[in-house]
Amino acid sequence: MGFPHTPHERETLVLSEYFGVREAISLAGYKQRGGYAALDKALRMEPAEIVQIVKDSGLRGRGGAGFPTGMKWSFMKPGDGKPHYLCCNADESEPGTFKDREIMRWTPHALVEGCAIAAYAIGAEVAYVYIRGEYTEALDRMNAACKEAYAAGILGANAMGTGKTVHVYVHKGAGAYICGEETALMNSLEGRRGNPRIKPPFPAVSGLFNQPTTINNVETLVAVNHILIKGAEWYRTFGRVDNPKSTGTKLFSVCGNIARPGNYEVAMGFPFKDFLYDLCGGPLPGREFKAIIPGGISVPIQTRAEAENSPMDYEGFVANGTMLGSGGVIVIDDAQNLVKQIARAARFFAHESCAQCTQCREGTAWTTKILERIVAGDGTHEDLDTLMEIADNMTGKTICVLSDSCATPVVSGLTKFRDDFEALIKRKKVHMVPAQVA
Amino acid sequence: MTDVAMVNLTIEGRAVRVPSGTSILEAAKVAGVLVPHYCYHPGLPVAGVCRMCLVEVEKAPKLAPSCATTVAEGQVVHVHSPKSLEARKGVLEMLLINHPLDCPICDQAGECELQDYTYQEGRAEGRYRDPKRFNPVEDFGGDVMYVANRCILCTRCVRFMDDIAHDPVLAVAERGDRALIAKFDGEDLTHAWAGNVIDLCPVGALLSKDSLNKARAWELDRSASVCPHCSQGCNMIVETRDNQVIRLRPRPNDAVNKFFMCDHGRLNYRWMNRQDRVDSPLVRQHDVLAKADWEVALRVAGQLLGGKRAFVLASPNLSNEALFLLGKLVAKTGGSGAFRVVQGAEAPLPGVEDLALRADRAANVRGAELAGFVRSESPLSGMQGGEVLVVADEELAGVDATDVAKAGAIIVIGTTLPAWARHAATVVLPIANTVEEDGTFTNLRGRVQRFLQAKAAPGLARPSFLAIGDLLAEIGEGSGYWTASQTFDALAASHAEFAGLSYDALGLKGAPLAGAMAGASA
Amino acid sequence: MSAATHQQFRYEPVFVGKRKEELDELLTRYPTKMAALLPALWIVQEERGWVPAEGMAEVAHLLELTPAYVKGVVTFYTMYHQHPVAKHFIQVCTTSPCNVCGAEDVVNALLKHTGCEELGVNSADGKYCVIEVECLGACGFNTPLMVNERFIESVTVDSVPALLASLG
Repeated sequence: MGFPHTPHERETLVLSEYFGVREAISLAGYKQRGGYAALDKALRMEPAEIVQIVKDSGLRGRGGAGFPTGMKWSFMKPGDGKPHYLCCNADESEPGTFKDREIMRWTPHALVEGCAIAAYAIGAEVAYVYIRGEYTEALDRMNAACKEAYAAGILGANAMGTGKTVHVYVHKGAGAYICGEETALMNSLEGRRGNPRIKPPFPAVSGLFNQPTTINNVETLVAVNHILIKGAEWYRTFGRVDNPKSTGTKLFSVCGNIARPGNYEVAMGFPFKDFLYDLCGGPLPGREFKAIIPGGISVPIQTRAEAENSPMDYEGFVANGTMLGSGGVIVIDDAQNLVKQIARAARFFAHESCAQCTQCREGTAWTTKILERIVAGDGTHEDLDTLMEIADNMTGKTICVLSDSCATPVVSGLTKFRDDFEALIKRKKVHMVPAQVA
Repeated sequence: MTDVAMVNLTIEGRAVRVPSGTSILEAAKVAGVLVPHYCYHPGLPVAGVCRMCLVEVEKAPKLAPSCATTVAEGQVVHVHSPKSLEARKGVLEMLLINHPLDCPICDQAGECELQDYTYQEGRAEGRYRDPKRFNPVEDFGGDVMYVANRCILCTRCVRFMDDIAHDPVLAVAERGDRALIAKFDGEDLTHAWAGNVIDLCPVGALLSKDSLNKARAWELDRSASVCPHCSQGCNMIVETRDNQVIRLRPRPNDAVNKFFMCDHGRLNYRWMNRQDRVDSPLVRQHDVLAKADWEVALRVAGQLLGGKRAFVLASPNLSNEALFLLGKLVAKTGGSGAFRVVQGAEAPLPGVEDLALRADRAANVRGAELAGFVRSESPLSGMQGGEVLVVADEELAGVDATDVAKAGAIIVIGTTLPAWARHAATVVLPIANTVEEDGTFTNLRGRVQRFLQAKAAPGLARPSFLAIGDLLAEIGEGSGYWTASQTFDALAASHAEFAGLSYDALGLKGAPLAGAMAGASA
Repeated sequence: MSAATHQQFRYEPVFVGKRKEELDELLTRYPTKMAALLPALWIVQEERGWVPAEGMAEVAHLLELTPAYVKGVVTFYTMYHQHPVAKHFIQVCTTSPCNVCGAEDVVNALLKHTGCEELGVNSADGKYCVIEVECLGACGFNTPLMVNERFIESVTVDSVPALLASLG
């Protein structure tokens, strides 16, 4: 298994401090490094106090939507007489994103700890960690960590000797991108097809097993450990001074045509230009960046200029025509056929559509067919108009946003890189019409 | 009833007031606006997947699926605004890209919601230029075949089998545009109510093998009726073409069968088209039954009854009207009457309260009892020697011949002439069968429901109430039973249980007897 | 049809002994039996190498579901094999992030060196089958692939022969 890169001096190592440190994987090694102090502290606090600290920290969901974590937790009403559940979304399946995998590979106990704290804070006795089936190593490490934690009395009916019950169970996915969508994940966990549910009801009202449920991303939960120990104020020190809405550090996964791919942890608001050229080493020799997708394949494609102008936080990316998303940075250089890559992205979504909503089921496949035809040199100018109209029909009209996600690279690609499409159409093959038909 | 808060909203400019919790789609119905939809069905849990029912709600950021969005006070909803229409046009185009567009050979054509809405508001021409998905036709077992290429994945069939039949033998399999409805090898749609998936399917994907290719939807004549195949009294539609019953389908009635009908009732229609019908009155002359005028036959029958007691063996599938008049015949002659009920296995539809294919395989058991007839497994055992046996719509299958032989004379009032009657009957009065006449049945919960004539009776056959009324007149018992409605009025006037009821009061959904439970599924 | 296909196929239940205990333990984790469906199917696949129809029926019976329901779930998830697979079932990620880094070349190299004539078709010796899969979530370690349950990162065209040799 690959080791992470040697951290760059401009990185801020909070969550990734022990990436690559084999000793930190085990319970003993994790505890030596201060592990489970946060849980120990949390279990002696009132749940409401924990929620307040997380609210004060400004922590927002790291899975993609960026919803304030403390507020999400506060939707869980204590004492409603119902079982509460915590789901940890470790289905990390957004192409370009592989940060949660590294957290689970190197610091599985940090996730167990984060899950236990969050579960306690929202009044849940059971937390399920839904890990995508392909993450075999992460699954092994998480299973081993849970086993160790149970054996050490950290989890169970008397968690850390406090008399409180906290269970953390690992649940293995089986190959479905859409299970990263929170309601699809809950359906999958319940033993159903991973179909997203109509909202409302929202998970905090009726989620897993129709009970109040909170669902958090791996990175979000692990950040909570540090916030509890070092405080909300400390967490807020990371970020642009002029943007209090994005706080803390963020793991960015970097891949594609770039010198040093990997996971990088930087403070919110870090300049994307420095990130790409300084930390990640810039383009491959003799190449230039052509397009950058900074938040996983579902967010709009940026031109190089837009990217170089972006501060790396929720607001900074939105101001530059895209979104922070999951923090999966995909870099595409000038040697690539961008239309082919957009077609490949569409094929991904067509493959992953759960098949519920008409626009998604049919639209993702139709979009793929047109794009692949264009790449094959069989496209027409009308196809480009049709693509835009299909994209419009696929946007904002379905239960979840998979359909929108498929439309996003098509729209941003056609808007920002139309010449690439035109060029493929101009060299269109001339088909001879058979004489008997003509 | 608990008080339900009411919500006021505006749909297409029309003010409506509906109970809170109502969906926009249902509220629109109240306002007289149909929101086009596929996956939504009032008898099934909401899925919200076809995305056809998207409507514009003022101040909402996105179009709302009207089936899954509840009404809110002051909401302003636009069903036919440019945005909503554009969205639905998009859905229709998407639904058709992989559809074979084979309406000319599709059984659903003419009653297909995909066809209807596409003509109503779809694009004139599709823009899809790529190869279409193909899946072979599959036999789902029971009466159902699946044409996957026409399927729009609305999942009504899956939800019916799961939530209503509690027998989830159908599932959506695969995903993306490869998805289709699947069953497990060796596990067929054999549930007693499985045929409902055919009606629920809004397109030509689930078809009845029984009615396959028999008629185009627009060639069928439709009549409101009540299923005569058990005592539940499911409301149904009789569909005929050229005086032949082609298909029976459920007719919604919340108080009885919701939207459903069992396969036994649905597929058991061939007797309605029997060719071996008695189409003329017959009177015994020497050893043979010879055709006769009604006047002659009635006179002979009247003479037979003169001064004698009648023993009436009636079918519990006769209408309340016919049974009422037969009851009068019994009373007039000082005789008695009996009936028997064919039995079968009970088969409930678990998702609907108090709905089942009942063990009593006859529509009017309750009506026969109310008309004074005695239920018996050996109905002729009560007949005394020398009584005139009046056999009304009973073929006497399995009845002991020695019992029949006790009769002083036999009058047959029926639709067909069984072998025994050929040598034993003195007079035969031909009557219409259930779907050839108007009438009412009383179901097992005491609900009185009308059925309307769906086809013409053969030859000189008369509606049962008319034939029996004529016979009563012949023996001096009143007259004036010219229509089913008049006959029912007479019944209502003379039987307390029917007091206050009339054809107008019953309408096409029926009404409970006085003293009966308010509704079958109360 | 060959004689083999006419042989009476007798299905041996998966959930006996230790495997049954494993399932029973799993059931304690969830408030519904249905929630154990994905884990139970994983057990079937671990035991049999794929999820045969009889396995779906067995799981359905144990979890009080119908086989059709289980089939609907199995076919939703790409990791459950609905057919027996080759000894080395190689799934290569070719989604965009890996695609721009030459994943398709890796696929071609794998096809060439395994002797598989096309994607999804077993090699003549039945040892290998190569398919493309969507994002494996290791985009920074391109090209990642899975050989059965084994996750392998950073495969290049050049490293393919050594990789195949290591599989045996």
